Amino acid sequence: MRRTDRYRYPVIMSLLVVLQFTVRSRLGGDRIAPDFLLLALLIYTIRAEPGKSAAAGFVLGLLRDALTPASFGAGALAHTLVGFLSSWAKAVFFAEHVFVKGCLFFAGTWLRNLIVLLVSGRLQSSQIAWELLVWSPLQGLTTAVVGVTVLWFFRGWLSPRRAGGGGGGLGTSGVSA
Amino acid sequence: MAIGTDRYASRADTLLFIACVGLSIAALSLPHQWRDPLAQGLRQSVLAPFLFLQRQTELLAAARLRYDNVVAQRDSVALAATFLPELRSENTRLRRLLGLSARLGGGYVSAEILHQPEPTNPLSFVVSAGRREGVRPLSAVVSPEGLVGLVAAVDEHSSVVLSWAHPEFRASAIATDGSVVGIAAPHGAEGPGVWLLELQGVLYRQQVSAGTVIVTSGLGGVFPRGIPIGVVVGPAGEEKGWGRTYLVRPAVHPAELSHVMILTTPRPAGADLRNAFTVQRDSGTTREAPPR
Repeated sequence: MRRTDRYRYPVIMSLLVVLQFTVRSRLGGDRIAPDFLLLALLIYTIRAEPGKSAAAGFVLGLLRDALTPASFGAGALAHTLVGFLSSWAKAVFFAEHVFVKGCLFFAGTWLRNLIVLLVSGRLQSSQIAWELLVWSPLQGLTTAVVGVTVLWFFRGWLSPRRAGGGGGGLGTSGVSA
Repeated sequence: MAIGTDRYASRADTLLFIACVGLSIAALSLPHQWRDPLAQGLRQSVLAPFLFLQRQTELLAAARLRYDNVVAQRDSVALAATFLPELRSENTRLRRLLGLSARLGGGYVSAEILHQPEPTNPLSFVVSAGRREGVRPLSAVVSPEGLVGLVAAVDEHSSVVLSWAHPEFRASAIATDGSVVGIAAPHGAEGPGVWLLELQGVLYRQQVSAGTVIVTSGLGGVFPRGIPIGVVVGPAGEEKGWGRTYLVRPAVHPAELSHVMILTTPRPAGADLRNAFTVQRDSGTTREAPPR
């Protein structure tokens, strides 16, 4: 394990956070632009334990709820569930394949939107249908594309560590649990 | 799925997850008086740098957009400004035409020159007045500066004008003081001299000084007397026979014109239009012609 490994994840996470607040508004409509914050959470959950992923999701969701107080708490619950399930699912379907990760990003985005919509109860049924059948899949698709691109671009940094190469990875924790 | 006991999540993970879900539900059920201050506190503390970053990004994008708009407006203004001298020139010319029409009193038709892109356009051109407007063949065509040419052919609503630069153009000419009489004709068919006139048939014994204003004499009945033709600039080469020839700088260049006036009503014999025109002296300045 290289000494710089512990800094690589924070760098990538910070990069995604900065992208969320800088370039996201230039990438099309708000409903279809990729969600960089959720992507950061999902990338984090690939290697983190389910409990930590749930906690990270809760913190991230609570911060996002502060930006959209109309559904305060819905984002926290949604990101908590998505973080935990993503981490758990990654352990169950452990496969270091780019397509699997892309599907994980897509499903995570769609599930997050589904939970937020259902829990907040702000939209009518027709609007929910449009959101879940049109906009959420599109946003999931863009998020998945960006996520796969990030994974490919930083594949040297984000590749799973070998056993004994540093703890904290879900691969090691999941298999040895 | 027994989350707490399966092999993919430890008990601590499960407890942490349950705690987060509980906190989320608690956040969902917070009353407004608690929820809003909490959200505000998060926005003003943890999220403040990110919101600042987002605000600066939006400002940057807006500034970029405004810059593009300003550049587009500047380009439009610059393009419009390129037409400004032409518009000023046309405005001045139209004002002169108005002055000329007031001085002529009547018996004329205003017409617009329908410029064509051919290089021979200054030799003969089409104007937007014809038989319906009272134009007849051989009518004099003038501008505020002087003689432009004469009407060669008339259509229903347009006419063909032969300018003074046309090789077949001739006009009986006289100096303003009546001392010299001759025939004004274009000077040469090629080279820079094509845009000069020459005063032919001047008696050998007569000397014409540079700067002498030449006007139409009224002889022949085509052109009324007193329309400025040009200004003498000097003798045209060596004299031949018993006459002299002088170069005349025309009072008006056909290519510079956009509007002309066609004299439609025959003037009474002896009528002199000299006072109606502005005369360009050799110095290049323009002034009203002195009364006879």
